Amino acid sequence: MEVDWSVVPGFLPQLAAGARVTILIALAGLIGGTILGLIAGLMRAYGGRVINAIAFVYIELIRGTPIVVQVMFLYFAMPILLGIRMDPMSAAILAIVVNAGAYIAEIVRGAFLSIPRGLTEAGLAMGLPQWKVLTHIVGPLAFRRLIPPLGNQFIVSLKDTSLFIVIGVGELTRTGQEIMASNFRAVEIWTAVAVLYLIMTGTLTFILRVIEKRMRIL
Amino acid sequence: MSIIEFHKTSKHFGDLKVLDEVDLAIEEGEVVVLIGPSGSGKSTLLRCINGLEQITGGDLIVDGISVRAGGRKLRQIRQEAGMVFQQFNLFPQMTALQNVAFGPRKVRGLSRAEAESQALLLLEKVGLKERAHHVPSALSGGQQQRVAIARALAVRPKVMLFDEPTSALDPELKQEVLNVMRQLAQEGMTMVVVTHEMSFARQVGSRLIFMEHGKISVDGHPAEVIANPPSDRLRDFLQHVE
Ligand SMILES: Nc1ncnc2c1ncn2[C@@H]1O[C@H](COP(=O)(O)OP(=O)(O)OP(=O)(O)O)[C@@H](O)[C@H]1O
Ligand SMILES: [Mg+2]
Repeated sequence: MEVDWSVVPGFLPQLAAGARVTILIALAGLIGGTILGLIAGLMRAYGGRVINAIAFVYIELIRGTPIVVQVMFLYFAMPILLGIRMDPMSAAILAIVVNAGAYIAEIVRGAFLSIPRGLTEAGLAMGLPQWKVLTHIVGPLAFRRLIPPLGNQFIVSLKDTSLFIVIGVGELTRTGQEIMASNFRAVEIWTAVAVLYLIMTGTLTFILRVIEKRMRIL
Repeated sequence: MSIIEFHKTSKHFGDLKVLDEVDLAIEEGEVVVLIGPSGSGKSTLLRCINGLEQITGGDLIVDGISVRAGGRKLRQIRQEAGMVFQQFNLFPQMTALQNVAFGPRKVRGLSRAEAESQALLLLEKVGLKERAHHVPSALSGGQQQRVAIARALAVRPKVMLFDEPTSALDPELKQEVLNVMRQLAQEGMTMVVVTHEMSFARQVGSRLIFMEHGKISVDGHPAEVIANPPSDRLRDFLQHVE
């Protein structure tokens, strides 16, 4: 079979629908993952022994297992263990939340702990409560250092959504495979799929660059 | 009642005893200069006063409140005892003015306009009105330290704690900071100052304390103690710093 690029426009709408699902999973998953990562990261950085240990176990559990296993667990094992049944889409989003959350927690912890201790002491010494020191002094400084590694994690998670092919979520990779199964246009389809991923990650990279440029690292 | 009262105050770091049953009373208006060899516990003594270090034995009362009280009471002590650090520790994301206005706004609850107009007066007092809108990285070390003093004063403390405020500065910049401190002492501010600037101790200090191994070994009038050191170790120490 010859390579024929003219077939691409024909299946583009279908691929675009798949890309929309990918974006939806990544967006919802990363919003949740960022919130979870922020909480777990702060627990690690500032929690007492017990709180720290809880966050530590969560992070190590996730970092020590592949994301495919995690989503399989959520989708196939949770119904048996806890009687919680979810549709593939929810399982996919939750997998990103839990998975990205663990990596983001380490990013958050590192960023907050990288802020010189003296600034915290200066805040405390004027009579601020610890939480105000975090929200007004350390937080804004840590945020600037957070952006580059956070952006990196967003890109990794966005690409990880392709692994949810294993539970049958109709995201971009899965859509590509479905079209393949009907017309065997491997070169055209996988090129188009790759280009769509590149557009998504490229957009993310661009947004991050703009934010980074606007904010000086202090 | 003294403004700061150490009652057999001890501080341990694990097994290491850094303050050893210190008894000390500081009265309002005193300028106490703390000297002593490295590791003798000067910084620790200072940091126990505002609870940056937690005492492990005895008691420590600041303006009638025990540092052991914790929580809101401890924050009250911290508002009464401003601190100036060796490394300035200015907030790098804020201008000089914002640094100084920060405490009044977030601790005392002043409006931004009120806090900033007061901050401007304080910056004028330390000679930095023209630098109000500069960020710390655009200021010299001496200027940064003067902003840091203004920032601590802005919370309206009754006592000022200085931990080697000029040690990180080039010799030519030390004086501008010492001058601000001298002026503060003349206005009657109660001050506890860890420093190796012996001329400052002699001219401005009302009391000189020499610390060794977590204990106060000499406590007297600066000029007298410096002229006639009551211990050999103090004499050796003074020879080394001057
Ligand atoms: N957070 C800490 N953990 C463990 N040990 C500490 C801590 N802070 C201080 N120490 C120890 O306590 C002792 C006294 O320290 P401190 O900083 O009070 O001395 P100092 O008199 O201020 O010395 P210097 O002149 O070097 O500043 C030192 O032996 C130091 O190593
Ligand atoms: Mg010290």
